[in-house]
Amino acid sequence: MEAKGWISGDESAKEMLGRVLSRARPFLLLPPLHRVPLRPRNVLEIVGPSPSAKTHLLIQAALTCVLPVDWNGVHYGGFDGFAIFIDLDCRFDIFRFSHLLKLRLASGSVSEIDREQNNNTIKRSSIAYDEELYTLCMRRFSYVRCYDSFEFLATLKTLHYRIQKEKAYGNCVHMLLIDSIGAFHWIDRASTCLPLRGSNRKSHSVQTVLETVVQEIRKLLLLHPMLAIATKATLFGNRAMNEAKWNLRKPDTSYSQIGGITALQLPYREYMPSAWQTFVTHRILLRPSGSEY
Amino acid sequence: MAPLKSLEQEYPILDSNFQSFCASHDIFSVEDLLLHDLYVLAAFAEQESSSERLKQGIAQVLSIIDGQHQPWLNGIELLEDAQRNKHVLSTGCEGIDLLLHGGLRVGQLTELVGPSSSGKTQVCLLAASNVAKKHIGSVVYLDTGNSFSPQRVTQFICQHSDPAIDQAKHRTLQKVMNNISCKSVFDIFTMFDVLHQLEFNLRSQMQGGDCKVQLLIVDSVSSMVTPILGGSGSQGHALMISAGYLLKKLAHEHNIAVLVTNHTVGGDGGISKPALGESWKSIPHVRLLLSCDHGGSICNVSILKHPSMVESFASLFTMCAIDLSLSLSLSVRPFYKLFLLHMVFLFLFTLFNFFSSGCW
Repeated sequence: MEAKGWISGDESAKEMLGRVLSRARPFLLLPPLHRVPLRPRNVLEIVGPSPSAKTHLLIQAALTCVLPVDWNGVHYGGFDGFAIFIDLDCRFDIFRFSHLLKLRLASGSVSEIDREQNNNTIKRSSIAYDEELYTLCMRRFSYVRCYDSFEFLATLKTLHYRIQKEKAYGNCVHMLLIDSIGAFHWIDRASTCLPLRGSNRKSHSVQTVLETVVQEIRKLLLLHPMLAIATKATLFGNRAMNEAKWNLRKPDTSYSQIGGITALQLPYREYMPSAWQTFVTHRILLRPSGSEY
Repeated sequence: MAPLKSLEQEYPILDSNFQSFCASHDIFSVEDLLLHDLYVLAAFAEQESSSERLKQGIAQVLSIIDGQHQPWLNGIELLEDAQRNKHVLSTGCEGIDLLLHGGLRVGQLTELVGPSSSGKTQVCLLAASNVAKKHIGSVVYLDTGNSFSPQRVTQFICQHSDPAIDQAKHRTLQKVMNNISCKSVFDIFTMFDVLHQLEFNLRSQMQGGDCKVQLLIVDSVSSMVTPILGGSGSQGHALMISAGYLLKKLAHEHNIAVLVTNHTVGGDGGISKPALGESWKSIPHVRLLLSCDHGGSICNVSILKHPSMVESFASLFTMCAIDLSLSLSLSVRPFYKLFLLHMVFLFLFTLFNFFSSGCW
């Protein structure tokens, strides 16, 4: 009776798949990362040396998030939601964001982006775009900047209430973007571990800060399904370049833009604690082509 | 960060009961609370006798934490603030202005990289004189190598003015020079002092007036940071990054354009690269590479990094050719003195040797 019911199960696999797949969100395809299928609750890390367009990728992701799917008959292919941008690098340029948004609105389709952007002769004033949609998209972009890890932790702890407030207005947050997760690495590392009162007191160090960050983001992703994207600058230079210099081994020729490299062959030195490394589900390596800096 | 005890006066709900509850979980200050899981703490508070009051205390602390970070802004508010406050300051040098679409942007940190005697200090002096003269704002010049030259600044200011009555010209010159305040800093701790004092002054002073600081120049940041980098500790890097963030905070919050200079070191394959390493690369908004051809007055500036431009954009410009020779002679004179002194000593030495060997 009870045992029989327990063995026979609640539903068949076909029924379960039918239920889940009908309500599941489709894969999030962010241009230009079309080949990387992402779902909400994935954590994507974009790694690269300093001038390698990581923030540009973040801005493109934010634009795809705030644009609607269709508007006035034009298909934009966006996710029609809010994007939250936490700027730890403090180098975000709103004029650049606004310009890219206008280009996206003017072109109306995603594949023409690269062609438009490379054309430097387009004057900013001559782009025709929908004012109302532009204002709507700009309002959907939430920005905060943090000057040290305490401000970052304070932001993360109060983010849940902010997202809940937005949900009360009927706005859904689809993306959490963090610019340069390793920005305060050196400052946290050099924080001296003075003997504090109370033996179990958590001291401020890279480990504890990042463990708390991972904990908070994990809780946020549980409560609000969204995609988390973080950029990370390589603080220690290019490992293959250094090793070629030291003649330790021949340069690695297995570079690819999408991370298909095993952990042993990473061309940069990983400095984030293991708590963060295990939290990341996808990693993308970027490098500028043919540049000495 | 404040210990919880000190918050009791302002927020009476954080009473001694709450403090002892927190102390039992090794939390003594707001900083500790940031590193703890507040939901777990609330769950522990459930088991206490005064759970309602404790949970209210936790909610109060959360609202205190909410005031600890910068305000949230949406895209429209950011754009309005940028359009209102973050304008562009012309450097006075057409080549650089052309490259940067107008000049130094307020709110951004611009770095000028170049080998020695490539004209970095000249560009800084030119920018200082131009901003003081044209933009009705004051300039703070932090000089690490005694390279600030008031004579050169006077040349830049008087260069383009029409030959008017001397007295009026003298008065405007004095007013403009009063707008430039030069401080000598020789180590990074003095620089932190100066910058914190500047931040305090800016925060406490009222808006308006023409003594608003528009431009902050640090010449050169690498000579202060390089001595502390290296070694096994990470304190040097931490100080460098903290200095960078302080400069960026001053730039953004108080609407100042910041210009710093950096020198170059040898890199892979003999190509020179900017000093201060990989970590510094993500601090400046804009990086410009400056190089002057040997003995000439034609300088080449190219972009290493810019938020909206690809590198390899370059432009050539001429630094005031006539006056360059003047400034060169000013700096060479002390060398002549030293050289003469050396010659005199050598002569006396050989004379002494001659006489002493002659006696024998």
